[in-house]
Amino acid sequence: MDDSEFSRLLKICRIHLSEDERLAIKKDTNDILEYFNSLSEVSTKEVHEAYHPISVPEKIRSDVPLDFPDVPLLLKNTKTYRFYVVGPDI
Amino acid sequence: MKIGLEVHVSLPTESKLFCSCRTYAEEPNTAICPVCTGMPGSKPVLNERALSIAVNIARALMCKVPTATSFVRKVYFYPDLPKSFQITQKDGPVGVDGKLFLEDGKEIRIRRIQLEEDPAKILRQDDYTLIDFNRSGTPLVEIVTEPDILNEKELREFMTELKSILYYLGVDIDRELKADLNISLSDVRVEVKNITGTKNLLDAAKYEIERQEKAIKSKQGIIHETRSYIEKEMSTAPSREKESDEEYGFIFEPDLTIYSTKRTNPVKAVYASKLAKEYANKYKVKEAAMRELILFNRDALALIESSKGKYDMKAIITAIELLQRYVKGKSRTSSETLGKVASLVEKGMYPDKETILQIEAGKDTNLGGNAASTAEIDKEIKQLIKENSALLKEYKKNTKVFNFIVGSVMKKYKANPRLVSERLEKILSSFRQ
Amino acid sequence: MNSIKEFMACDKPDGYAEKLLSELRKANERLNAFNNITEHLADGMPFSVKDNICVKGVETTASSKILKGYIPAFNATAVQRMLDNGFSFLGKTNMDEFGFGSFGINSENPARNPFDESYAAGGSSSGAAVATSILKHHVAIAESTGGSISAPAAFCGVVGFTPTYGAISRYGLIDYANSLDKIGIMARSASDIKYVFGILNGPDAKDTTSLDIKYKSENKKSIILIDQLIKNIDKDVESNFMGFVDRIEGMGYVIKHRSMPFIDKAIPSYYIIAMAEASTNLAKYTGFKYGFKNEDFTSNYNKFFTDARSAFGTEAKRRIVLGTFVRSASVKDRYYSQALKLRALLLQELNKLLSEGFILSPTMPIKVPKLEDVKKLSALENYKMDVMTIPPNLCGLPHISFPYAYKNGMPLAAQLTTSHGNDNAALDFVQEWERSFKYKFKYNIGELR
Repeated sequence: MDDSEFSRLLKICRIHLSEDERLAIKKDTNDILEYFNSLSEVSTKEVHEAYHPISVPEKIRSDVPLDFPDVPLLLKNTKTYRFYVVGPDI
Repeated sequence: MKIGLEVHVSLPTESKLFCSCRTYAEEPNTAICPVCTGMPGSKPVLNERALSIAVNIARALMCKVPTATSFVRKVYFYPDLPKSFQITQKDGPVGVDGKLFLEDGKEIRIRRIQLEEDPAKILRQDDYTLIDFNRSGTPLVEIVTEPDILNEKELREFMTELKSILYYLGVDIDRELKADLNISLSDVRVEVKNITGTKNLLDAAKYEIERQEKAIKSKQGIIHETRSYIEKEMSTAPSREKESDEEYGFIFEPDLTIYSTKRTNPVKAVYASKLAKEYANKYKVKEAAMRELILFNRDALALIESSKGKYDMKAIITAIELLQRYVKGKSRTSSETLGKVASLVEKGMYPDKETILQIEAGKDTNLGGNAASTAEIDKEIKQLIKENSALLKEYKKNTKVFNFIVGSVMKKYKANPRLVSERLEKILSSFRQ
Repeated sequence: MNSIKEFMACDKPDGYAEKLLSELRKANERLNAFNNITEHLADGMPFSVKDNICVKGVETTASSKILKGYIPAFNATAVQRMLDNGFSFLGKTNMDEFGFGSFGINSENPARNPFDESYAAGGSSSGAAVATSILKHHVAIAESTGGSISAPAAFCGVVGFTPTYGAISRYGLIDYANSLDKIGIMARSASDIKYVFGILNGPDAKDTTSLDIKYKSENKKSIILIDQLIKNIDKDVESNFMGFVDRIEGMGYVIKHRSMPFIDKAIPSYYIIAMAEASTNLAKYTGFKYGFKNEDFTSNYNKFFTDARSAFGTEAKRRIVLGTFVRSASVKDRYYSQALKLRALLLQELNKLLSEGFILSPTMPIKVPKLEDVKKLSALENYKMDVMTIPPNLCGLPHISFPYAYKNGMPLAAQLTTSHGNDNAALDFVQEWERSFKYKFKYNIGELR
């Protein structure tokens, strides 16, 4: 992975790295990706992707509204202004 | 020119797509819970009815509906998106390869139909934002067309046909419609995002077509970009960079599973536009009038279908026009009411507002008696002419007299004004001869 | 009668809870087992909760600075079921940030091994294992994604049980990798775990992936050793383990040596899936809805989010970047999709072996390491330490780690894996082993005299 690709990724995931962190992570990144590349040795043409390790049967909710009882406790985690949650500028 | 559309339709469920919060609330941030605010530790569980409606929309738009459907995470960062990913569909949508026919039979291909969650509502302040999560997690269906729409007329028609089909599925989208528009006059595609309402959609298309035409003429060229519609100015402007598929990094939503589309009760689609054409031919009425009547009126359609032969089609059309004029604020009138009004019209009466409201309120026990025959109307007209012979000399100058006579007859017999006018003209002209 | 029922039935001496809490606080200053300890301990059997599992009204941080101050407005289903069954909440246990680690060192104050404080406690459920190792009457609600229960249980000499994927509801668990995360249990005996597992398993309307199945106990009296796994490990670990295998043979089990295709692909497959899912789960931490707050709302959201996300630790940042990469559209087939297909292949191969009997291995390929030594490992060397714990975790298979011997004052542990839904067989096997084994602990806080 080259520098520009690495920088592009950081931008996509909104991560800023200090110089030290950048060096440490970038060095390992290439070793790890090389290790990941070993998966291509296996032919998986006829194999289906296992999204879960076990088959997960359908579980579905009927359309019945139910109020969450602790909205004030939930909103305590945020900064609010007249019922609204305050967010950054857009 | 090629136009493609992505229409977002809000589904009429009681609770949200992945949690049990209500889909409606007055105060901001009251219909919220850990799931729709993206609180760490919360998990989504799918709403059965939302899935059913989405599958029925796909069927009505003649899509191939895969036997199984699944969800993905679409990752992007914006303050209105609580988890910083939207649960939507990609490889396992509820429908693909559908179609919708315009009035003249032209086919617009539907690429895909997917079920997804709506982000929160975000209000921009001077230099910060205020967020209301009540809307966060409400179910949306996104309908994506191929770029088969070739001009504004087709765009308008497409929206009318789509809305009519959705109306008959119980999905009334006029209020909550949101759309993205792809327009390319050359080989460069411009996307206009986040347009609310059909009128704005048409205005945005008009503006964007003119803008691109100008740019091509002046040899400025068009750049591939995302723009947004500015309602106040009825124009479009470049908007924030949107992530691409590369960056969304879609993965299977591992908190959910794969769902059967077979479980949903199929609702038979109604193609009112096609029916309007059939009935217009069959009952010898104008297609436009028939479309006006039934595209967004399931009661009118039900009455027409149940009254085949029972009432004259023109009487039905008149009855429905009357009801729509007088019974305001009521989108639905019962087919019983319609039937009563139609039968009065058929008898030659033209019920006034008072009568209509009585029928609507079910206090109409004594209405049938006043039906007037042409002979009775003629008799009454002649009597009135006799009483007002002096005034009648001024008939040509003074239309008030004419209207007075028509009004009097109508009042007495609840007669059709067109009929009374016709008879009066005839009698007056016979006097002059 | 198991020790939980005994404890619940007996009368505690006056001041029992206060004495327990004060001794625990003192020990915690040295061992960093708990991120927070309750002020008031109720009468029931104490249970601790890994700090990535929500307890209503109690700060829950997953040992991450970015979640500092997050107060959940709800209980995790597992926590609620413990409370409903007479257990008493004791505190939130330390861990590697978001579960990212095998030694507990990715935490502001790494937990220390109670047998010797200069040694690692293992991770990521480090505090859960330390708490279990120092408290006489206690069970720990822990969580494993790739070995986060087995590894610390092995190093701290306790029993650590990771059930079938979906057996215990994940509602209230702060996601690391949703298709891999499993809530599990640590205790000082398999019978205590079995009792708690009976309470915690079962479907939950709030977690789509929670299972509604019957848990069996089928024992074929055979032990499978996957030869590739046992080669290339610490020689002492290998020889001690083979000695233990002889004792199991003596208990009437048939020992079968097998080799398994694709086993070398388990670690890369696991890390690709785990990082891909983690990078989406960690996207929600943007500094304004909960936890760490960026106060300057006037900065543009991109800057605001990026500034806030500096609060992640280095390992979290590494996994976000790598996870974002492996699911990018242009390389997704090569990494993310291929890893999901390999999971299918590996599960198929493991199931073949499990149809013959239990799979047994040392839990970790090394002896309990010193904290200073594990800090020197590179990221990749770290990941490779999960060689034994990843195969069952990747495939959602129930497994249990338990001590089988003590060498130089430190425990040595083995891990037994069985088929989906055969969870009780793993617990019953360890109960059988416990009849001829005596656990050793350095602390017994809360012991009734």
